[in-house]
Amino acid sequence: MPQFDPASFVSQLFWFGVIFTLLYFAVVRPTLPKVGKVIDAREAQVGGDLDRAEAAKGAADTLRADHETAMKAARDAAQAAVAQARETAAKASDAQLKALGARLDADAEAAAASLELALGSARAGLETTVAELTSEAVAKLVGIEITPADVSAAIAAR
Amino acid sequence: MANPMEQFKIETIVPLNAGGFDLSFTNSSLWMLITLLAVSAFLFIGTARPQLVPGRMQAAVELLYDFIRDMLRENVGKDGLRYAPLIFAVFIFVLSCNLIGMVPFVHSFTPTSHIAVTFGLAMIVFILVVIVGFARHGLHFFSLFLPEGTPLFVAPLVAAIEFLSFLSRPFTLAIRLFANMTAGHVLMKVFGGFVVSLGAVNIGLGIIPLGVNVALTALELLIAVVQAYVFALLASIYLNDAVNLH
Repeated sequence: MPQFDPASFVSQLFWFGVIFTLLYFAVVRPTLPKVGKVIDAREAQVGGDLDRAEAAKGAADTLRADHETAMKAARDAAQAAVAQARETAAKASDAQLKALGARLDADAEAAAASLELALGSARAGLETTVAELTSEAVAKLVGIEITPADVSAAIAAR
Repeated sequence: MANPMEQFKIETIVPLNAGGFDLSFTNSSLWMLITLLAVSAFLFIGTARPQLVPGRMQAAVELLYDFIRDMLRENVGKDGLRYAPLIFAVFIFVLSCNLIGMVPFVHSFTPTSHIAVTFGLAMIVFILVVIVGFARHGLHFFSLFLPEGTPLFVAPLVAAIEFLSFLSRPFTLAIRLFANMTAGHVLMKVFGGFVVSLGAVNIGLGIIPLGVNVALTALELLIAVVQAYVFALLASIYLNDAVNLH
């Protein structure tokens, strides 16, 4: 095997040394750390962005919580106002209703009284008319003169 | 049939001799150089204008770099990230050598199929671990060889075993990569030879090893990636010993 021929060892090691030295000092050292720096910078930037996003999210959460509290307070206030208005309105309409009822009652009573009065006078008129008619009829049919007052007395006696 | 070992032959391109040592520029050196150029193109284009929202090439570089950084973060911790460029260099070198060695038709050569190169890679990891260990913990680093709670009467034995296993790390690291790459490439070459020899007998017979070779190519690509991953993973696990002392 040519691998175990020591004649080439020195030459191989020498050229390996030369080329690896060049590779490390002239190629890898001047180039790779640049990329390393960029990778670190990128990590830092991504980390910073994430932190900023986290902070922004926190702020947004606080804002939303504030907004929700404010909304809730406003809703409660509105509900209270509505309830109060409803109560006031109910009270007012109750009073109005009561007043109206009273007036209607009074009107009804007055109407009933006048009706009674009219009925009384009508009944009185009816009685005189009946007495007169009866006395006239008796005078015509029987020929006996009876005054309407007698007829009225007779009706009242029955 | 071609010798399946021929593909690993080191061929001198530019002979070079310095102080009695043969430092010739060979096909292995050439393909390591091609790897270096490919990785340079990838990294320089990918990081030409780094942007917060990456383009395609930058995203590709980031993907690989993030992969290594995550591995170090997981196995070593935050302190391990300092070594990310070096582990990345090791990883991308192994990965590119493995993958470029798979390119067909261009007489490509896989430098990581040679133990000299993989041993060099393993020594980089080993030396890094030793330097980091002593730099961070001083002589206290030796406590690595004595796991906590070891009974005193077996302590010398445990320390000896731990020390040996520590010393064997660069070898296992080197042999694992070299053996994987070599075995896979040999297997592909052998079945490639079968395609020709069986195909010469009967075209229909040649189809079978060809199908096997298609599957082997997929497997070898997987191994090329997995071995680079394993190398980097073990490097970061060893690094963890040095940084955190167990």
